[in-house]
Amino acid sequence: MVDALGVRKRFGRLEVLRGVDLRVERGTVTCILGPSGSGKSTFLRCVNHLEKIDGGRLRVEDELVGYRQKGDTLYELTDRQICRMRAQIGMVFQRFNLFPHLTAIENVTLAPLHVRTRAKVHRTRGEQARRVVTGRAWRERREHRAAVRARARQLLDRVGLADKADAYPAQLSGGQQQRVAIARALAMEPKLMLFDEPTSALDPELVGEVLDVMRGLATDGMTMVVVTHEIGFAREVGDQVAFMDDGEILEAGPPGVLATPTNPRFAEFLSKVLS
Amino acid sequence: MEAEPRDAPIKAVPVRHPGRWVAAVVLVVLVAMLVHTLLSKIPSPTGRGQVWRFGWDQVGQLLFSAPYLQGVVETLWITLLAMVVGITGGLLVATLRVSPNPLLSGTAWTYTWFFRGTPVIVQIFFWYNILTVYPSLSLGVPFGPAFWHLDPNKVITGFIAAAVLGLGLNEAAYMAEIFRAGILSIDAGQQEAAQSLGMGRILTLRKVVFPQAMRVIIPPTSNEVISMLKTSSLAAFVGIPELFFQAQATGANTAQLVPPFITISLWYLAMTSVLSVAQYFLERHYRRGTAAERPDRFVQLWARMVTKRRVAVFAPGGAGESVPVPAPQGGHG
Repeated sequence: MVDALGVRKRFGRLEVLRGVDLRVERGTVTCILGPSGSGKSTFLRCVNHLEKIDGGRLRVEDELVGYRQKGDTLYELTDRQICRMRAQIGMVFQRFNLFPHLTAIENVTLAPLHVRTRAKVHRTRGEQARRVVTGRAWRERREHRAAVRARARQLLDRVGLADKADAYPAQLSGGQQQRVAIARALAMEPKLMLFDEPTSALDPELVGEVLDVMRGLATDGMTMVVVTHEIGFAREVGDQVAFMDDGEILEAGPPGVLATPTNPRFAEFLSKVLS
Repeated sequence: MEAEPRDAPIKAVPVRHPGRWVAAVVLVVLVAMLVHTLLSKIPSPTGRGQVWRFGWDQVGQLLFSAPYLQGVVETLWITLLAMVVGITGGLLVATLRVSPNPLLSGTAWTYTWFFRGTPVIVQIFFWYNILTVYPSLSLGVPFGPAFWHLDPNKVITGFIAAAVLGLGLNEAAYMAEIFRAGILSIDAGQQEAAQSLGMGRILTLRKVVFPQAMRVIIPPTSNEVISMLKTSSLAAFVGIPELFFQAQATGANTAQLVPPFITISLWYLAMTSVLSVAQYFLERHYRRGTAAERPDRFVQLWARMVTKRRVAVFAPGGAGESVPVPAPQGGHG
């Protein structure tokens, strides 16, 4: 699903990613661990092209992220193509980034209502006029909106917040906000979910409810890449654990590596975190 | 020492504020002096009897006289049209300014530079005299044939067009900066969240950035509307019979200068007061979803008296402002 090969990224003179190699199989959960500043979040942001990579190759579902290759030449994607690609990748942020002026359910419905995911149906002008005159266009639009709203309610129910649909983000606790953010990302029916330290900004007592939702997603077979400090979650839910330091992945493997790390830096990191 | 029961209510002597009393006395004296001089009389210039120092009887006659009512209407029209030009223009310029395309953002910068950098009265005169440089207008291929001709006399001689263009295009430069400040005030995480959902740049601006930026945009915009209401008096210089024009006319005809200007001041004050109230309600609407920091206690008290309603902590869009809404629970992260 995700295929990173020697991915490089620099901010000015600082090289943040120095050749990241990582493979994520469909339907698996990959947890990326590592100290702050090691480039974990930057890598995640590269996967949905919030950051442009400077070198290497990064593919999602065998398609280059942000580029199109023809022969030996790379072409940048247009804004619209990038949007279409991003719509298939959900992202959950450390600081939730809910839209504060919208209620929980409006947060969830915003993108599905306004972002076109399917190709536009081409109709002749006569057809379109007939659809408008007969009210068919409006009816379909209304039905579409109702369907989106019903699906949003399902999603809120799935994250355990059906009763908070009409609450504004400021009226919700951090854990509730993050669960709405997960529902919002799921609303675009993504093939891949990226989590950028989803529990780091939460009070300790609220971490569990968010991890529970993520566990549920993993059980349902969602492909997930999770940047986290929750070693327990990585051990229990992760199919693959990767340790990143200084812009490189130093060790990657099944969660067993948490017990027997071979890389000395990984071992040192674990001993600090677990003590 | 007396026993101190756990639940004894606090009974303490309040701190005295002698400074407040002194201030109150001084203020009362000053107000009394003001009222006295406002209501005083002086010998009539004609030598017969006494007249109000500030000509209140003339003010009373002028206030609702036909020319002044016409002046009010003209002033409101110019303000409205110039603000429509200013706000739509400002929105356009601000959107261009934050565009990643350097050509577009450069154009927007140049626009602001030019229109903010020249006096508005000069701009009004420029539009007023544009006929001398463009005796005819036409639409067609650049440097090629024209399809459509327009006699600019028909457009500009309405006078009002010169004033609206001059005031409006100038205003657009200021409004653009206000909109831009609003856009910049929104956390970058909001745009990232929208982008990660596949929303495009314009959609993100429309649905995520602007609705939130409105909270920052409205107070300075109200300021601009109120300012425009007064700046519209410059239109008098291109012959539009608005309030200032009428006051000058009365002054010239009767040699009485103070009463007409008091009259139009009352009108300007009345109109700006209405706008201030409108500002309060607009701000309350766009406070949606944010914890209530009270924007302005003084205005809030007035608004409460007018609507006889409690102002809710949260005002969920539209229905039932007075419905109590639960307070935010726990941390905001």
